[in-house]
Amino acid sequence: MGDTDEDKIWVLQSRDGNPAAFEALIRTHQRMIHSLTFRMTGSMADAEDLAQEIFIRAYRQLDSYQGKAKFSSWLYRIAINTCLNWRQRETRREQVHANWAESNDALRSEPESPTGEDALGGEVQAALMKLPAKQRAAIVLTIYDGHNHAKAAQILGCSETTVSWRVFAARRKLKRLLSAKGGRHE
Amino acid sequence: MNDFELEKKLKAARVPVRDEDYWESFPRLVSARLRAAPAGRPMVERHWLPRLAWGGGIAFACLVIGFAIGHWHGRMEKNDPYALLQNGKVLHEVLTLFPNRVRAIIQDEHGIQLVLSDQADLPASTPIFVHICDGKQCSSLVTFSGQELEIAGQKVTILSDAQGGVIVMGNRFVWSSNQPVVAQTGLRIEARTLKSVTL
Repeated sequence: MGDTDEDKIWVLQSRDGNPAAFEALIRTHQRMIHSLTFRMTGSMADAEDLAQEIFIRAYRQLDSYQGKAKFSSWLYRIAINTCLNWRQRETRREQVHANWAESNDALRSEPESPTGEDALGGEVQAALMKLPAKQRAAIVLTIYDGHNHAKAAQILGCSETTVSWRVFAARRKLKRLLSAKGGRHE
Repeated sequence: MNDFELEKKLKAARVPVRDEDYWESFPRLVSARLRAAPAGRPMVERHWLPRLAWGGGIAFACLVIGFAIGHWHGRMEKNDPYALLQNGKVLHEVLTLFPNRVRAIIQDEHGIQLVLSDQADLPASTPIFVHICDGKQCSSLVTFSGQELEIAGQKVTILSDAQGGVIVMGNRFVWSSNQPVVAQTGLRIEARTLKSVTL
């Protein structure tokens, strides 16, 4: 997660209402945020929507960024919380959508493939999506983004022990899912 | 599959690639949404009214529960001071009133307090009863696996395993129902899952 002094300058300019400065911040961090949102949602479309929401939230909370931490860390924390909240909203929506889809066969579309690309990617993403959101976040933070448990705990706002437990539980489940014969997207 | 093989497999799964046009247009898309949205900065202070309403509602509900629990407590205290926390009916009613929000019900020398999560994000699981004494004070609570709480002056994390065992972890100790001894801390701990309480 890179960070530069330029970030802080762009933050100051964004606060002064310079849209180009905020676009520069987005340009710097958009790939990191998209990776996170894709890992957390398993969908390209949802990842894009969430990424937009994250940057909009960040813009509206810019005044709370004090410049002590890296901007990327501050943004990452907003991102992970937005992803976790999204899961709660989605869980509520899923039941409504399922009911609606059942009564509208003609309008039902094929479910979106998690990656639309390679089989391994799909299998892994399907397994990630079977984890509880907080365990998935712990895996994304520690394995994909390389944070140690202490840093992950700081970002998630919980104790290091809790992160360790979530990672342990997630690994155990992922091993079972990915080792199983035919453990592809169900 | 070992940890190394798992990590290798996870890391081999790449995020799908988007073309350069997407990355070029994405910042402008966000900017356009920001211009279109009437809200400005900061966002933090704009939602005080619903929060106040929620806060008031929760405070009132806690007050009602406090009275109800106090009434129960008065009747049952003579027998077992912590019987209330193990009473399935009371627990069930509290958990039903705040679905997926109850982090813990704690009983200590100050009385009973309900610890709620800001959002309904706690998965349903078997409640765990924990009793901790440090020689000076004792506290009891009902909570759920994964919760981190301050109890009897100790910051502890409560976990349960698939076999119904309970693990209590503090900064300087780990207690397990399979090995119920806490060396050198002077703490006395009892813990068990309350399997009779179902949601």
